[in-house]
Amino acid sequence: MESRLLRVDLTTGECNSEVIPHSVFERWIGGSGINNWIMWEHFLTHDVNCDPRGPDNIFVFGVGPLAGTGAGSGIKGRITFKSPCYNMFGDSAGGGKFPYMVRFSGFEYIAITGKAPKPCYLHISNQEVSILDAAHLWGKNTAETHALLQEEHGTYPSKTHTLTVSQAGENGVGIAGVVSDALRIHARCGGGAVMGSKNLKAIAVQGSGGLPVTRPKDMLAWSDDFRKKIDSNEAVYGFKRRGTLGAVEMYQHIGSHFWRNNQGNMFRGDEIRSDNWVKKYHKYSEVCSSDCFIACDAKYKIDGTESEAAQKYVGETFRRPEYLTTGSAAGALDVRDWAEVAHWGKLTNDYGIDNQDLSCSISFLMELKQRDLISDRDVAELFGHEQSLEWGNMEDIEACVEDVVFQRNAFGVMFRDGPYHGALKYSAMMGKNFMKYAMYGKGGASFTEEMRPFPTWMNNMAVASRGADHLKGIGLIEKFQRKDLSKIYFDGRIEAADLSTTELKGACTAVVENQVALLNSYGVCMFHWMLDPAGYTPQDYYGKAYGAVTGIDRTPKELMHDGERICNLEKAFNSRVGMRREHDTVCERWMWEPTEEGIYPGKVAADMFETVLSDYYEWRGWDKASGLQTRAKLTELGLDDVADVLEADGALA
Amino acid sequence: MSSAPQKELVTGSIRYAPDAEVPNVDHKLFALRNQCTECNVCEIACALVHSPDGTINPQLSRLRIEHAPEKPSKVSPHGIGFIAEICHHCGNPPPCAEVCPTDAFYYDPNTQAAVIEQDNCIQCMECVPGCPFDVVFVAPQGELLKCDLCGGDPVCVKACAARPEMLNEGKQYVRLPVLFYETQPDFNQTSKQKPELQDEVGMMQAMLERGEISSSA
Repeated sequence: MESRLLRVDLTTGECNSEVIPHSVFERWIGGSGINNWIMWEHFLTHDVNCDPRGPDNIFVFGVGPLAGTGAGSGIKGRITFKSPCYNMFGDSAGGGKFPYMVRFSGFEYIAITGKAPKPCYLHISNQEVSILDAAHLWGKNTAETHALLQEEHGTYPSKTHTLTVSQAGENGVGIAGVVSDALRIHARCGGGAVMGSKNLKAIAVQGSGGLPVTRPKDMLAWSDDFRKKIDSNEAVYGFKRRGTLGAVEMYQHIGSHFWRNNQGNMFRGDEIRSDNWVKKYHKYSEVCSSDCFIACDAKYKIDGTESEAAQKYVGETFRRPEYLTTGSAAGALDVRDWAEVAHWGKLTNDYGIDNQDLSCSISFLMELKQRDLISDRDVAELFGHEQSLEWGNMEDIEACVEDVVFQRNAFGVMFRDGPYHGALKYSAMMGKNFMKYAMYGKGGASFTEEMRPFPTWMNNMAVASRGADHLKGIGLIEKFQRKDLSKIYFDGRIEAADLSTTELKGACTAVVENQVALLNSYGVCMFHWMLDPAGYTPQDYYGKAYGAVTGIDRTPKELMHDGERICNLEKAFNSRVGMRREHDTVCERWMWEPTEEGIYPGKVAADMFETVLSDYYEWRGWDKASGLQTRAKLTELGLDDVADVLEADGALA
Repeated sequence: MSSAPQKELVTGSIRYAPDAEVPNVDHKLFALRNQCTECNVCEIACALVHSPDGTINPQLSRLRIEHAPEKPSKVSPHGIGFIAEICHHCGNPPPCAEVCPTDAFYYDPNTQAAVIEQDNCIQCMECVPGCPFDVVFVAPQGELLKCDLCGGDPVCVKACAARPEMLNEGKQYVRLPVLFYETQPDFNQTSKQKPELQDEVGMMQAMLERGEISSSA
């Protein structure tokens, strides 16, 4: 297995092609593992405490070895960089056809450094790379940019697929994401701001090459078996129809929504709680990315008859909102009309901005207004235009989005890095402590789901290497109380599925993080695995496909070791920028304010937080007092070189 | 022009005499319009099976997924849809073979499918406009690509995942893939005979019923 890395220095305009040798795959699997390693090596020669918006930051795009091989498990590209909004390790996954096409261009990894003297975009056509002028694209949103680039580059040698940033990225908005093919956003951590700060508007790729498979027959047999497994899995059918929106009903049942800045945990409004609207437009569109047997995505087109609000958006078509789009609009902002929720999804995607951080920024201010902690005059001063800050008022919410994207008033500037930094600045400006109402976890990142009754999820929010997030260690065992899975994962023990005990909660995060790191490194979608976590395990079942494609045959135990190594490198990066145990924490409301509704009332994170965190460090083999890695652990993982760097920085326990 | 090693995966290389009468293809490939999700797995699998050196390149596959936004159907009134453009295996001899100046087509005895013998093909491309369905494709290197039914076990059909939305009536649904390899071309007929009816259950409901999750504390 070999791969090619394209290195682009935008300051000098140099583009170099490098071979990523087999040995790197042996150590880092591929995808996010190799991305992390490219970034780690970059920061051995550059200041790790550099300004993430400066030319010293690196922007890496990578796609793993299973992507596009007919594995049927979806393709996820991954961007990795130092996050401008959380000032720590940052990465984000996304689908679309861009990562698929990158594989056929011959470059599977792209590392961009420096800063272009003027707006530019990168065009890759097979092995030909050019940095082109983007003056005509500057100031356009992601959909417009994508359309222009497709028109410009046409369909030879293949269709053109793009990775673009919107005006938000151009304006250095920390929560700006990067959008693949104008449809699928790499939202978390602010990749858009990194691209924008480098004056890089887009990457357009065309490819007509082939990608190697070491054992084609094994791969075809694996793919055939996987499709049969998928087709015979009942859970898959629900997921094909509803996608992540299936969670709306389930979460309403257990009280896991994030309503009005998490003042509650159930959605209000009959229509938003039902999936009538979703059924109406439930299917018949492309998958989110290529090479997926499930196709949980769908499209909507509003005809104006759905509701009164829908008349504003007649003819609007986009992909159906998924759970977190709904969670941020119907939950955090209390929007009760499906057409408006769908519009929110399109709006945040076209402006390429993270709807989690954005919705929590707006809901923070809405709650202050609701509690009369700020006056109409304060609001007028902050916004410089009429702004009601009423829950669910879509017109005003839309104005807030544009304020941030175009940085056009004090609110936009203050909240460009999300609710945590925004709330700090606003508290300072007002001379009052409003931090109680800011919702965030590690790094100041927000997440619009109720966390308090779920110790593993809360632990995820506190330790995720890229800031509060569920996708690093997604705890299905606990949230859905899967005793069957707990038994499989922990030798017959069921405590991981029991919400009333701290036992195995930290363990659950640690083990699942390793598995997720593997999936991210294969370059496949996580949802296939989640539909049968014990049936298609990343270390065993997917491991066979990985072997067929790369020729690297590993035992499940060895692969889990590889996953752990990848997690440890992400952790090491965060240790280098100064993160310790005290940074692995969550906001005040989650920690101390009891839930009032749902089937788990009266829960606060503090009940179990510290015990679970210590448990997590113990399973990880890290130092419990400081939260730092130990040399013994790193040596066991073959990361002595990483330990040396940490020791020199004083970041080793 | 590298066709030799592919025979390992694709069976059938016995040439019929040019004047021999060849029966029509009895099993044919069918694709349901507007039901495809553009997952490209059929393209990838086809490219891999026909690859001479174990690389995957969708531009070398014998079918294409095309966007057909202008073709609304009963199930997709908004016309958002994709279609697998695939060889229809017209009656023998098919129009593509009839226009071939070098008789580069031979018939696979297992399937009676007309297959291009790459060694005899002069890449004149007459068969491309000769095909009434535009499903003879040109590879980047000029090679002509036509479906050979994989010797009777088409990999694209195997790679096509079943969809639950087919023929959705009330709370019942039928699972069917988008691509078929069938003798019977009447889908209304087959869908009445074949369906495996299932209660419509969501992901969570199914898991609840199987006892894999619990709804109580």
